[in-house]
Amino acid sequence: MALNPVYRTPLIARPTEELREKLESIWADPPGLYGWLATTDHKKIGHRYLTTAFVFMLVGGLEALGMRLQLAQPNEHLLPPNLYNQFFSMHGMTMIFLYALPILSGFSNYLWPLILGTRDMAFPRLNAFTYWVFLLAGIFLYIGFWNGKGTNVGWFNYVPLASRPYNPDWNVDIYSLGMVFLGISTTAGAVNFIATMFRTRAPGMSISRVPIMIWGTLVSNVGILFAVPAVSLDFMLLWCDRRFGTHFFDAAAGGRPLLWQHLFWIFGHPWVYAIVLPAMSIVSQALPVYCRRPLVAQPAVVLATILTMVLGFGVWVHHMFSTGLPVIAMGFFSAASFVIVIPSAVSVFAWVATIWTGRPVFTTAFKFFAAEVVLFVIGGVSGFMTAAVPLDWQLTDTYFVVAHLHYVLIGINVFPVIGGIYHWFPKMTGKMMSEKLGWWNFWLMFIGFNLGFFPMHISGLLGMPRRIYTYPAEIGWGTANLITTIGSFVFALGVLLFVINVIRSLLVGAKAPANPWDADTLEWSVTSPPPSYNFAVIPHVATIHPLWEGRLEGETLSILHEGPVLDHEHEMPGTTALDAEPDVILKQPSHSLVPLCMALLIAGMFVGLLLEMWWVAAGCMLAMIPALLWWFWPRVETGWAVRA
Amino acid sequence: MNSNIYRPPTYEETTEPRTLPVGKAGWRTPGWWGVLALIGTEAAVFSYLIFSYFYLQSQTLQPWPPSGLPPLRYAAPSTAALLISIGTMWWAERGARLGSGGRLLSGLLITLLLGVCYVILQCFDWHDEPFLPRSGAYGSLFFAITSFHVLHAAIGVLVLAAMIWWSALRHITAERYTPITVTALYWYFVVAAWIAVFITLYLLPWITPH
Repeated sequence: MALNPVYRTPLIARPTEELREKLESIWADPPGLYGWLATTDHKKIGHRYLTTAFVFMLVGGLEALGMRLQLAQPNEHLLPPNLYNQFFSMHGMTMIFLYALPILSGFSNYLWPLILGTRDMAFPRLNAFTYWVFLLAGIFLYIGFWNGKGTNVGWFNYVPLASRPYNPDWNVDIYSLGMVFLGISTTAGAVNFIATMFRTRAPGMSISRVPIMIWGTLVSNVGILFAVPAVSLDFMLLWCDRRFGTHFFDAAAGGRPLLWQHLFWIFGHPWVYAIVLPAMSIVSQALPVYCRRPLVAQPAVVLATILTMVLGFGVWVHHMFSTGLPVIAMGFFSAASFVIVIPSAVSVFAWVATIWTGRPVFTTAFKFFAAEVVLFVIGGVSGFMTAAVPLDWQLTDTYFVVAHLHYVLIGINVFPVIGGIYHWFPKMTGKMMSEKLGWWNFWLMFIGFNLGFFPMHISGLLGMPRRIYTYPAEIGWGTANLITTIGSFVFALGVLLFVINVIRSLLVGAKAPANPWDADTLEWSVTSPPPSYNFAVIPHVATIHPLWEGRLEGETLSILHEGPVLDHEHEMPGTTALDAEPDVILKQPSHSLVPLCMALLIAGMFVGLLLEMWWVAAGCMLAMIPALLWWFWPRVETGWAVRA
Repeated sequence: MNSNIYRPPTYEETTEPRTLPVGKAGWRTPGWWGVLALIGTEAAVFSYLIFSYFYLQSQTLQPWPPSGLPPLRYAAPSTAALLISIGTMWWAERGARLGSGGRLLSGLLITLLLGVCYVILQCFDWHDEPFLPRSGAYGSLFFAITSFHVLHAAIGVLVLAAMIWWSALRHITAERYTPITVTALYWYFVVAAWIAVFITLYLLPWITPH
């Protein structure tokens, strides 16, 4: 049949109104509930990731406020010990797994195809699938919290405390299975980002012209690909120990509790980089826009990003210095942890030089990005301190470590994320955010954060251990804790103002032009919000700053107004990995319910495993076979030259 | 389109219409990258399992394996079956590229049968072992590693069955054979992972002093 020719020569033309209407009819989702559930539009999925992850952050934030009220004064009785254990465990789990990475996936999902100059991700249905799995796994991880079965031994869940004799209820089972469940989403997302990077960049966007935002997420996702298996395996083995009587971590039968820690931190430390490198790349991408110049030493920053991730796989033992390991091992991992400072400093100096040599425009987004640089330095120095073994022995498991990790994770993740929202909100919604509210939003968050978390260094140096639910009055930690609690509420007020600003701007915000910040990358060349098909004609990219070429090169080199018209079905160009030369016309799948069905089947399987209803788990697994056949069935519209 | 040698495109070339293959064209589809990434992450799981094996071995004062040398009665022929299946899978994939439906179908079918042989032989091997998953850390890890691999092989067998079905329906042509390439890559990985598992669990105890 002539439905699907093997070769075609795409028409090169300028976009017309008819073309835009035709593309809209091809790419827009069908109306109603079906369209909502079946969408594979990366922009909608990105919105969902951002919203869901932010809701999880608010929930995790409320848990933190509960803990801060309990610790505000000595001998308080707001949260009993058992509930306090669940509060800090759920808080850590929520922030690290359900907020920090998914929010970045939200940015990447929304922005990648727009920055890369294409129309969708490499695997659109997989993209929808990752979101549904993330949502369902997040709900799964919370199913026990309401009746005292939330995970309760900290987010790193050490055995033997997490093993069955010491923790017989469902708390840890829910956490274990939930983490394996969530790992599916994270891994599938990583596969999608990697294929998107190497296959779908706009023609001409050779490897040296890839914007830095892409690099941060790519490197993070390559790390995820090799790190997440360690934690999924770890939790799976723990669940087997708990439910089937295996002995992986059971010292009495030849297992080793330290195996848990090794596998956990082999994952855990790269994960830190997985959740900060994309956020750092948000800063590297957007901060220069407000400095009115390109990022200083962009190639060095890219190489430093890659080096950080590589080194990040060789430092996990610095989380285990107090477990009695051989001195030679500690020396090696301590040195490796010091070395990581070098690539981190490359980014910091590049940002400082960009601000220094630029002409900064002090928008709210700029303030958040500049604050990130400051907080990164503070959190980096306290990390550098604990990389030294003797000091770590003194500080481990104290509030000093809590202060360090919050400077790192709030400083390098939350601040760039909020700044990133201020930066891309006009693109995503077509509305400008209020700068006046933004001013209050920023200063409340910045002052509240430092007021709340800096005194934790002091409480830690005074010897206050983390994870205690209360402390006696005479020990002298009351003042530092009271200041911390006040600071955390000021910070929360800042976050509340941010939420108000988002809602207010959505309702009554000024209309956003295509490029309100006069930025340099391709997402700003389309309307705000972008049309469902992103680009009417596929752009051809000639430099790393396609929209600044007039000023930087003296003439416009990229071709954005004329290009291949791919208007048959869901089509976009596939390009070579290094040179981004077009070598195929990809036929992308469109809206489908199969990703949601697969996610629900996986959820059913994990619920079956949790309740030990083996027939439910087995039934769901068997049902995946037809679901996957449906997913991958050869169809004409996905590029098979066969009869329909 | 035939030359893979790079030369920078000129301005005219970038605006010049060019003829491109449409849809699932060999390794040009994203699926090729997708399966490579999948192999990377699955290989990581096997690496961490083998890491756990060597870690527990390094920490134990008992004999390792605790119940004597692992029997090769079933593991040796199952390894042979998987090694032969590399050749038959390659034969099938070349057949798909050349548009030879017979080569494709026969190659897939033999690969599938060899995969089933491996799974059955491994079940006998489990039955043959003097320990159980609950017997101790070694038994737990032995069954975890081998069953994780059998799971991968079983998934591979199911995928091969789907490929046979599609080939019989003539969905696979000389222009659009990507699913076969992707399946072949996955199957090579299953075999490679088994070689690592076989050397670690079955061969090393025979050649190291204990």
